[in-house]
Amino acid sequence: MSKYFTNIYETVNTLWTGMRITWRHMIHIKRDNVTLQYPEERWPRPERNIGFDHKDYNVIRSRLHVDIDDCIGCLKCERACPVDCITINTIKAPNRGEDISDIGHTGETSNGTKKAMVVSRFTIDMSECCYCNLCVYPCPEECIFMVGGPNSSKHPIDYEFSQFDRKDLIYQFAKKLTPDQKKTIDDPKPEVEA
Amino acid sequence: MTVDFLMDWFATIGDFPILAFILAVIISGIPLFLLMALNAMVAVYAERKVSAFMMDRIGPMGQGPGLHAGKWGLLQTVADAIKLLIKEDTIPQKSDKLLFKMAPFIIFIGAFLGLAAVPFSSSLQVADFNVGVFYIIAVGSIGVIGIIMAGWSSNNKWSLYGAMRSAAQIISYEIPAGLSIIVPIMMAGTMNLQTMIQFQSGSIWGILPNWIIFNNPFTFLAFFIFFISAVAETNRTPFDIPEAESELVAGWMTEYSGFRWAVFFLSEYSNMLVVSGLAVAGFLGGWQSPIPGMFDSPGWGLFWFMGKVIFLIFVMMWFRWTFPRLRVDQLMHVCWKVFIPIAMFNIFGVGIWKLIIG
Amino acid sequence: MLRDRERILDMFEYTCGARLLYNYMWVGGVSHDLPKDFEKICFGFLDYFEPQIDEYNNLLTYNKIFVERTADVGVIPADVAISYGVSGPNLRGSGVNWDVRKDESYSIYDRFEFDVPVGDGKFGTLGDCFDRYWVRMLEIKESVKIIRQALKDIPSGDVHQALPKKIRPPKGSVYRRTESPRGDLGYYIISDGSPVPSRVKMRSPAFTALSCLDEVSKGWMISDVIAILGSLDIVLGEIDR
Repeated sequence: MSKYFTNIYETVNTLWTGMRITWRHMIHIKRDNVTLQYPEERWPRPERNIGFDHKDYNVIRSRLHVDIDDCIGCLKCERACPVDCITINTIKAPNRGEDISDIGHTGETSNGTKKAMVVSRFTIDMSECCYCNLCVYPCPEECIFMVGGPNSSKHPIDYEFSQFDRKDLIYQFAKKLTPDQKKTIDDPKPEVEA
Repeated sequence: MTVDFLMDWFATIGDFPILAFILAVIISGIPLFLLMALNAMVAVYAERKVSAFMMDRIGPMGQGPGLHAGKWGLLQTVADAIKLLIKEDTIPQKSDKLLFKMAPFIIFIGAFLGLAAVPFSSSLQVADFNVGVFYIIAVGSIGVIGIIMAGWSSNNKWSLYGAMRSAAQIISYEIPAGLSIIVPIMMAGTMNLQTMIQFQSGSIWGILPNWIIFNNPFTFLAFFIFFISAVAETNRTPFDIPEAESELVAGWMTEYSGFRWAVFFLSEYSNMLVVSGLAVAGFLGGWQSPIPGMFDSPGWGLFWFMGKVIFLIFVMMWFRWTFPRLRVDQLMHVCWKVFIPIAMFNIFGVGIWKLIIG
Repeated sequence: MLRDRERILDMFEYTCGARLLYNYMWVGGVSHDLPKDFEKICFGFLDYFEPQIDEYNNLLTYNKIFVERTADVGVIPADVAISYGVSGPNLRGSGVNWDVRKDESYSIYDRFEFDVPVGDGKFGTLGDCFDRYWVRMLEIKESVKIIRQALKDIPSGDVHQALPKKIRPPKGSVYRRTESPRGDLGYYIISDGSPVPSRVKMRSPAFTALSCLDEVSKGWMISDVIAILGSLDIVLGEIDR
């Protein structure tokens, strides 16, 4: 019998304590508000770089970008990607380190390495990308990176790149070569004999 | 704007009693309907904002008229109403079509008729019955038929579960509500709502208003029993098993979309208004002002009445966003084994009090 | 409570850039160093968070409605739990004192002082939903203790050891388990000497926890299944794989 009354007393007590807490939250809304009214207010992005070897790499996961003039076609990033979203096709350049101006191929990267391959196709499917950053680390020329943060000088930050059509999320970074241009690389004109 | 007032006015023009009655009822029914619609819009907006503030977030917000949802999200309810009206009206194929279409309107009728007897002010009441309290309690049970029809005709076993639980819950909780509302009837000696409110004029010891809730400890307890049973009657948390979102998708309302669902929604919020109105009239002094002697005109009466009703609706929302849900058998246990004994004990106690102390 | 979880995820993002699927643990160490003011942020969060636990207790744990919903519901007796392979807070809620961090200590857990919370039938029978919930709430407090101790003594230096490009483990198989919030997370790897393992199996604790749902929920109502499922704390991604 007495348990009946202690039950009722406990119920009222605990329910009242719970109600006081929600009341306190309600009147302190200006202080405690956690809503961020996007798109007018945005959460600040961490601006750090990774540290140890790669001072220019980003901690934040944003859009991938490739400086195609620096790519030597080593395929390390393609192998490192866990979801196989990078596709690279390369053609062996006839002369290592030489510019081929009619397709816009520079012979040397900005770090001074001579390029032995011509990249004819460099496609990244951002809809498959899982933003793991594993393609960024192996690149010897630091030409594939996530934009923003320490890389803002190369490319401003961009993490709002949603598109209406899935095909628009497939990014092509290499300049498209026509079949004629491909043939000139494979089969250069022989030197004119003096 | 009571029906009687309008009938007298029509009688001065000419002698057409039946037409006068019909006209009077229609003319006084339209503001009631507008009140229901307005109440639903304001209550929905208030519920979203209050629930958001209690959870440390800010609910629907906007940056100005026309952008997003209006400044502070005021246009959100308008947007919701427009969306509900233009939604597709789906009717399940194997359902009982006549019952399916009629069910929302029966619940609506229950809520609407109840609003007719709520005393908004000393001169603002659609119908001043001599058995006002009895009428409201009786009309509140019409909703149960509508709920069972809705659950049955949806041809969906989850809706049927929800409807049966809801019917059991509403019918069970009418008993402690009815028993507790007997207490102000005993105190005031009449079932007429206006007389009951006029009984509560004056003050106790000069400072406290002479409301029935402050009269003696039994009536204080009776108010809480009545209020909690009323919350259970309107299917609000913590008693919202019928519309439990994680257990049965939306209970008996699952198959309704668009305008029919809006009618359900409207009637739920007007039910809240009706039971709060009854609680305020019976226990909290109706349109009497809390400072005895001041601000007593009929205009102020409306203000005090709506203020108290809004406060009670706010408490209902407070309950909803603080407590987890009760399980069905615990609900029934609370009703039959806790509330009904306490309600009966209250009646007994008030009777003894009135006999001895008067 | 989700607000506080957001703050924790923000700290993760500050450290390694991703909130939930951080690629942080690499073979040979961790991938990034902690940012410079991480200690300040972390201790600030911990100081804010400890009184919040009391608030959650007041709001939910001692609430009579919540207790009625979870006490005596879905009792897993200790022998049933062991026979199904349930582990972690679910097992400790049934009264069995088993914690991989203390019993088969790995990494540096033997340097920290913390208690292992075990359920004790506070508001009902031993092993009901409330016990599992209560064990988890107590573990929050223990975790705060561990984090404080760990951050205080963290040494400076390199975070990642230089490793050869291709690691060739010796032939054989190994099974190691760690304590994850859901139970014993185990990895079984068979290697045949090459850099690519020939078999990797992950033993997911949520899978075993879900398997005892059938026996535990016999005789209870549908509303109770929700309480039981919530108290077992399953992650369907782990179960479906």
